[in-house]
Amino acid sequence: MKLLIIEDEITLNKTMTGFLTAAGYLCETVTNYNDAIEKIDLYEYDCIVLDIMLPGGSGLELLQYLKTNKKNDGVIIISAKDSLDDKITGLQLGADDYLTKPFHLPELSMRVAAIIRRKKMDGHNILNIGNWLFIDTIAQKVTVQQQEIELTQKEYQLLLFFVVNKNRVLSKSAIAQHLWGDDMDLADHYDFIYTHIKNLRKKMMAAGGEDCIRSIYGAGYKMQVD
Amino acid sequence: MKSFAAYQRFNTWTAIIILLMGSIAFYGVLQYVLIRQLDESLKAEQQEISAYVQQYHQLPVIQNTKNQWIIVDSNVIALPKHKFRTITAFNKAEQEMREIRQLQFHLQVGNRHYLVQVNKSQAETEDLLQLIAILAFGMIALLLVLNFFVNRKLVNKLFKPFQQTITAIREYKIGQSQPLQLPTSKVTEIHVLNISLNEMSQRIFTEYRSLKSFTENAAHEMQTPLAVIRSSIESMIQQNNLDEAGVQQLMAIDDNMQKLIKLHQSLLLLAKIENNQFALNETVQLDQIIRNKCEEKAAFIEARQLTIQRQLVPVTVLFHQQLTEILINNLLNNAIRYTAQNGQITIVLTANSCSIRNTAAQGSLDTEKVFKRFYRPQQQTEGTGLGLAIVHEICRLAEWHIQYTFEQNEHSFIIQFVNQEKKI
Repeated sequence: MKLLIIEDEITLNKTMTGFLTAAGYLCETVTNYNDAIEKIDLYEYDCIVLDIMLPGGSGLELLQYLKTNKKNDGVIIISAKDSLDDKITGLQLGADDYLTKPFHLPELSMRVAAIIRRKKMDGHNILNIGNWLFIDTIAQKVTVQQQEIELTQKEYQLLLFFVVNKNRVLSKSAIAQHLWGDDMDLADHYDFIYTHIKNLRKKMMAAGGEDCIRSIYGAGYKMQVD
Repeated sequence: MKSFAAYQRFNTWTAIIILLMGSIAFYGVLQYVLIRQLDESLKAEQQEISAYVQQYHQLPVIQNTKNQWIIVDSNVIALPKHKFRTITAFNKAEQEMREIRQLQFHLQVGNRHYLVQVNKSQAETEDLLQLIAILAFGMIALLLVLNFFVNRKLVNKLFKPFQQTITAIREYKIGQSQPLQLPTSKVTEIHVLNISLNEMSQRIFTEYRSLKSFTENAAHEMQTPLAVIRSSIESMIQQNNLDEAGVQQLMAIDDNMQKLIKLHQSLLLLAKIENNQFALNETVQLDQIIRNKCEEKAAFIEARQLTIQRQLVPVTVLFHQQLTEILINNLLNNAIRYTAQNGQITIVLTANSCSIRNTAAQGSLDTEKVFKRFYRPQQQTEGTGLGLAIVHEICRLAEWHIQYTFEQNEHSFIIQFVNQEKKI
């Protein structure tokens, strides 16, 4: 899977690239508009991570360029502007998703994965861990050791978050934001995360799955798989 | 037109006093002159008689007229004090009491002494004076009336651009897309006023604009560094060589950064509301929003073992979807967070009002300060302290009236949709 990361802030560009590379993507990075156009002309990407405010041009112009040149790359906008108008303009110009800065890296990874799944359309809607856990992202069905398990909506979202970000430490704040968005303050959620994770582990183990979700010093959780 | 009334009153009284004093002085002078003239003619009469006596050594035959008569008294003992005097006496010719000017003098014809009184009617003088007085008063009255009307008309005309300026200032709103543009005027004062106001408005406008763009830019500029910090923290916690203390410290940074982000978003939202950056023309299904929000938070309500009671009627308002959601969200969050374990939340939505009540975990909030920014009840450090300030601002924008009360151990927030025009 090939990604193009277009972000002029070097540190952010590096951390995103590091995180997404570790998630198994092949990442190329540029820091300005002209380099981005050059890359887009030469190669095809599964997903483009696009900042709106770039030296040399706007991310929205770049979207327009993709559209006029009939490029089919998936695009996720990462913008400092969280105004609804920008979001709507971006999506109308053909972006697949919109993430407001500051965001959590696992969330970005999650959204990129979702875009790629949607773009592929060829049965790549099954995620797996080893050969015991399978998730059908269209039917939203989870099977452990060929046995379907019943999960609540939140447990399903949580499991998907872990699977996409396997072997990464997910902080409580990243999990809370993923499950509940911005609406409530974090402290209210931390107990819930614990409860949801406990229930999820119980259900997976009851079906004969591995106990692979670990707490990291009470600060976050990690799905540890080989 | 208060200043005009004051001016007019002063002006009228001054005019009356001056004209009155002038009239009196005029009257006095005129009278003096006329009496002097009368006296001159009396004196001439005396000289005539004296000359006649000197020449012929006998009294002249005196021809009395309507206005002048001479009395000769032979029994003179002593000359009276006043040579000239004004007396009121009976005028035979006119058959009425009249003011009379009299000159008396001593006359010697041979050995005989006479007292001669030359009388002249003062009627003509009086009539003249009367006429002059009437004329003077008439002119005073005419002047005052004319003055009043002319002034009023003139002042009205002069004040018209002033009134226009006042109206323009009254109707001007600071968030308008243009500074105040008052017309120039031929009247210097109004011209200077308008020019100064235009300049002031321009300065305010420029500063307001730069403040607004500063808020926006500052907000956007903050997002990127925050994103850098957050992504760096998340990259760091992926490293396997971190010990527990290291992870805990990173999480402390992350938690506080989360607070900073929240605070920053809240302040940005407040700034946007204050700058009127929302188009308030969306039809909003209030009952639906309340239902959705309750559903979203069902897990929290359940976990705290709260019961929630809803009495909702369908209510549609013309406002802003996102802002209404934030409004309900903030009120509901507070209700959930500050309700005692096993407590109850009551939401009542009617056509005219929406109330959210919850049993209190602690006592009453400070009703004065509850909607102030960064107000937190004692020992309460959670949250940004901006939730209710945002609620208040949203209500202000919608022209709804919100009130907090504390009764029977219940916090109660009531929103009244006062502005009926906003309703459909």
